[in-house]
Amino acid sequence: MAITVKFFAGFREATGKRQASIEGVNNITSLLDELVRRFGEKLAEQLYSSNTRELRKTVNILVNGRRLDFLQEFNTPLKDGDEVAIFPPVAGG
Amino acid sequence: MIISGFGETGQRKLNVAHVVVAGIGGLGSPASSYLAAAGVGHLTIIDSQRVELSNLNRQVLHWGPDVGRLKVESATEKLTAINSNIKVDAIFEQITSENVDQLTKGVDAVVDGMDNYPTRYLLNEACVQNRVPFIHGAVEGLVGQLMTILPGGRPCLKCAIPKEPPKKPLFSVLGATPGVIGCLQAMEAIKLITGMGKPLVGRMLIFNGMDMNFDEIEVNRDPSCQVCSRQNR
Repeated sequence: MAITVKFFAGFREATGKRQASIEGVNNITSLLDELVRRFGEKLAEQLYSSNTRELRKTVNILVNGRRLDFLQEFNTPLKDGDEVAIFPPVAGG
Repeated sequence: MIISGFGETGQRKLNVAHVVVAGIGGLGSPASSYLAAAGVGHLTIIDSQRVELSNLNRQVLHWGPDVGRLKVESATEKLTAINSNIKVDAIFEQITSENVDQLTKGVDAVVDGMDNYPTRYLLNEACVQNRVPFIHGAVEGLVGQLMTILPGGRPCLKCAIPKEPPKKPLFSVLGATPGVIGCLQAMEAIKLITGMGKPLVGRMLIFNGMDMNFDEIEVNRDPSCQVCSRQNR
């Protein structure tokens, strides 16, 4: 078992994948670290502001279809079988 | 029309339906055109802007000679020309927390044709509270997203996108992208009114024109959502 990560829009372009199976991570922070290790700088640029390690405000992450817990945010725990969606919401009309 | 679950009954339901199209730009243009053509008897279109030259690549209800006119005026003219049997109410106003209730209460569906999240969140909340279906759409470049929000303990826009993405001073949209999403919004409204099919509830559709594919993201209700958790019946 592992965690399934689904990429959308620009994240799909950065990773070249629609989804990835990730093992050995237990929360959002460790998942993002592992994704950057695996997919490199192109993905890091999409995820984080260039100067800081802060997640860009354009990044929306849902775990099993639920937004990250307000209180736990990046410490939101992950377990085998969880599905994480990473997408940049668009705004125009 | 020979479509399963539609028929004369469906057409009659459309005829007595009232749909609000909030924003008559890139999304609102195709959405309202198809709603008018389908025979939705009463459309209320809301927009506080005038037609600009830069709108014409995607806001297909507004044409070259309309530049400078009120969008609601230009759109009313075209929509009533598409279907002279329908009633179109044009509201030249900005949607605010003061008027959003009055604009959305009691209608059959609200179509999101906005270009910003603060107004989308206002509409989302008003629709959840007033138990009106809200059909969210948004676009940028060749990417579009769509989700239908129904009252009654179902996930709302805030459950899917809790925080407003940062405002970009300028972004480009390939005109065909809101064409795709706006048409799908009209289809969702028509399905809800006639009772056909399965609405896009609890899932967000992501359209990627670059790769030409559609994907779904599962969306579940956040039990602590400040908008829809108060409406859990």
